[in-house]
Amino acid sequence: MKSVSPLIRGWLSLAIGGIAAYIIGMGLVFAVSGSWTYVHLVPILFATFGGAMAYAWGAAGISPLTKGLIWMNAGALGGFALGLMIDWLVQGSLDWAAPIASLFSLLAGFTAFFLGVAGLNAVSKGLLWQIGGTLLGAIFISAIRVAMGLTWSGPFLFTEPAWVLGGFMGVLFFLGGNGAVSDWFKWARGMDTPEHHEETHTGWVKYLNISFDHKVIGIQYTIVALFLISVGGLFALIFRTELAASQLQFLTTDIKLFGQNGPQLYNTFMSLHGMIMIVSILLGMAGITNFAVPLLLGAQDMAFPRLNSFAFWISVPATVLLLMSLILGGFDTGWTGYPPLSARAPVGMQMFFLGVFTSGWSSILGALNNIVTVIRMRSKGMTAFRMPIFVWAAIATSIIALTATQFIGLAFQLVMFQRLFGMGFFDPAQGGNPVLFQHLFWFYSHPAVYVFILPGLGVISELLPVFARKPLFGYRWIAMSSLAIALVGFLVWAHHMFASGMNEYLRVPFMYSTLLVAIPTGVKFFSWVATLWKGKIWAPTPMLFVLGGIVVFLLGGLTGPPNATVSTDLHLTDTYFIVGHFHDTIFGGFVFPFFAAIYYWFPKATGRRMNEALGKLHFWLMTPAFFVLSFGMMRIGLLGMRRRIVDYDPALNFDYTHLVMTVGGFLIAISVLIFIYNFFNSIKYGEKAEGNIWNSRSPEWQVASPMPAHNYDQPFEVVGEPYDYGLPGSKYVEFAAPAKATTHHKGEN
Amino acid sequence: MSHHQNKSAAYGQGMVIFIYLAALTALEYFIAVTFNAVSILVVVALIKAALVMYYYMHIYKLNEDSDDDIHSYAYKTGTNRLGLWLFLLSDAFVFAGLLTTRINLLGLTRPHLNQILGLAVTALLLISSFFMNRAETAMTHGDKKGFITNALITLVLGLGFLLGVVAVEWPLAAAEGLTASSGTAGAVFYMLTGMHAFHVFTGLIFLLVIINNARKDVYSADQHWGVEAATVYWHFVDLVWIFFYPALYLIGKLL
Repeated sequence: MKSVSPLIRGWLSLAIGGIAAYIIGMGLVFAVSGSWTYVHLVPILFATFGGAMAYAWGAAGISPLTKGLIWMNAGALGGFALGLMIDWLVQGSLDWAAPIASLFSLLAGFTAFFLGVAGLNAVSKGLLWQIGGTLLGAIFISAIRVAMGLTWSGPFLFTEPAWVLGGFMGVLFFLGGNGAVSDWFKWARGMDTPEHHEETHTGWVKYLNISFDHKVIGIQYTIVALFLISVGGLFALIFRTELAASQLQFLTTDIKLFGQNGPQLYNTFMSLHGMIMIVSILLGMAGITNFAVPLLLGAQDMAFPRLNSFAFWISVPATVLLLMSLILGGFDTGWTGYPPLSARAPVGMQMFFLGVFTSGWSSILGALNNIVTVIRMRSKGMTAFRMPIFVWAAIATSIIALTATQFIGLAFQLVMFQRLFGMGFFDPAQGGNPVLFQHLFWFYSHPAVYVFILPGLGVISELLPVFARKPLFGYRWIAMSSLAIALVGFLVWAHHMFASGMNEYLRVPFMYSTLLVAIPTGVKFFSWVATLWKGKIWAPTPMLFVLGGIVVFLLGGLTGPPNATVSTDLHLTDTYFIVGHFHDTIFGGFVFPFFAAIYYWFPKATGRRMNEALGKLHFWLMTPAFFVLSFGMMRIGLLGMRRRIVDYDPALNFDYTHLVMTVGGFLIAISVLIFIYNFFNSIKYGEKAEGNIWNSRSPEWQVASPMPAHNYDQPFEVVGEPYDYGLPGSKYVEFAAPAKATTHHKGEN
Repeated sequence: MSHHQNKSAAYGQGMVIFIYLAALTALEYFIAVTFNAVSILVVVALIKAALVMYYYMHIYKLNEDSDDDIHSYAYKTGTNRLGLWLFLLSDAFVFAGLLTTRINLLGLTRPHLNQILGLAVTALLLISSFFMNRAETAMTHGDKKGFITNALITLVLGLGFLLGVVAVEWPLAAAEGLTASSGTAGAVFYMLTGMHAFHVFTGLIFLLVIINNARKDVYSADQHWGVEAATVYWHFVDLVWIFFYPALYLIGKLL
């Protein structure tokens, strides 16, 4: 086998291992149930995870990844068996679809993976502590309940209050156990710690451990974001498959999984797709900002390195909580979690609330750190209007994330308390007001969409001059437009509620304030087009994604005013048109720029570049597929397709459009898989790129990649405008001593 | 830390501000029991808040020029100060959301609560703020003993407030039928006081930490960011109560 290439060995093992695991799974199902009811689920899971393990083993032998996957599979099986046993002891019957078995399987599998990869590290330690904390909290409440003469067991083993305290304590234990807060505890006891710790781990293991280096944290964020994008995308594929034709074929009523039948699973997947994607966007943008902002400012690190690390690590237990919500009965409210429905949904709703609340803290603390860094850590000569334009976008985003996020946290907390203690905030029977929830919720959740897109638009403005070789048109206007969007964004929330029954006189002011957002957004488009005008446009992969982002975001922008205008919105509310509009803005404002940023800064992080051919394939596959998907959404939406429903009337004649959209969705998934392959493969095998491969004026490209722990060896001073591409003799930064640039500028600057 | 004033002048200023705050609180109570004009109560609360933010929390220090050397303690304190204030801004949104909830659900009505107890705990918190200010002033002038004494008094008063609300006020209200699940008035009362009490609790932990560290000589007249942070946080907790007290006890007609 030695002479065969690793790739072929990998694929061969995948085929053999996958088929073998599938057969084992089928045999197991048959042995237990005597029928083939679950044929499409258990064997597929076996084939997927067994196949992955076989692939890793075939391609690279017993590598850390192979070990991780072996441990994961063993852990998942062991956890499943343990959960099943507990369930049998409590319920007295064996139910293979019992949520508790799946939950143990998920947690044990996750933890075992990280244990297998690198033994005890911050992730595996944290997860072990989280499991312990969750059980401890749940058992504590259960003990109190028993002492009070109440029942301790519920449909998901423990009762709801027990799960809530358990989930909360799980987060605290994770953070306490993995070392994210140990420096703070030392400070509290009056001990001193060095401002920067020496990196104790080298190579890829440092990404699994606590690090205060903003570049490491940026990459940690990005990888968790990519994981969540994959999970959220997988959920989308599942419910999109069900929607491919009218009637129920895939998520049928006779399926039973995690205590839910097919249509209930549809609701949970649809709801979690929304929130998991939102969290992944927040983490993805936090990743880019964390990595880029200190480099762009010439700072050694973020202002608060420990807080930075804490804000990242809190997002890991939050991710686990969000996944737990799927298993603990799910929920059916959509990502918005409106009461009164959310006051009645299963326990999964509470895990969802807790997960969002926790990840909200990640967002708040990251934003705080960002603002302070920009205000306090700029290098010499970097006045406000000489900052890179991406920094302005990051500031605008951070202002929203810092303040408004508290409102969604509060809204969700109030529903949690309503469920736990019967506090009737949103219960009309007690005099409560469900519309109040919507106000609190949208006061964050509308500005939040600007949190999603502003950094992306900043990436577009940042990269466009590099690849058009021209000054950025209207720098100050763009800088101000980011702030304007952020501030106006605070005044528009009730446009989500035109059909909610709120006071009618509120509609018109909110309509106009919403339409006002088009002005600063228009400023950005004007500037982008003017920057491209007569530029020497050069289109490697990052630029392709920038251009794609501009076009897609334009589509999202143009479909906005019909939703903002009361008369048309009353027709469009809760239709697929809204879904299409939203996906346009988020793909244009986040997904495309996010990929652009990764392709662009990847060499800075790794010293290698991602494969261009695969990058272009990714772009040319994803872009048309996305257009098909979003145009399809808007078409059927205009014709009256409701959003969030598992089935539709065949007489509406939407079957064909839905089928095409589903194909589009799968093509996007394939393109993202190509990207992920390219990402991880290029870390090790990518073409070396240590110099200024984009010929950028930005300071981080004037030194060799990858950069050392504290960034610049010599401080630099800003001596000119940031985007004067093509102006002979102009300079943006000057290093104190000759910088170690490996590539010198040729010809134009 | 620059010494703008000598110690006794600083103590005197803290005392004067405390007298203003106490007088304004008495005025609030008087307005509430006589002609209950909401707009005046709001104005008085805003004045109290401004006094606390300027004289007790020293918000103007955000504007202080600090050393150009970014590795100096002074520069880092400036950075920390900005971070702390941004955190408080963020936290203020939680309380703003709670006030919004209260206004939306209860409007110009209020639950039946024990007025004497309400005034008593408010006084406890206000007096604790006075001693906190003295503690910080003492530390600024290198008076470790004075700091510890005043901080301990603050701690005891803060604990008194916490117990007054959670261990006395809550059971009393519940005995009179105002429970968490008895309607929106109960829900609002327990949520607002509960969230505030949680902050008082964290403030007490913070106080314990700085008292303990002061005993270990961690702080000096020039370098005591921990003390400043705990002080500003403690006054912030008081600041929130400046709005919560009238919102729960004074504004509107009895339900």
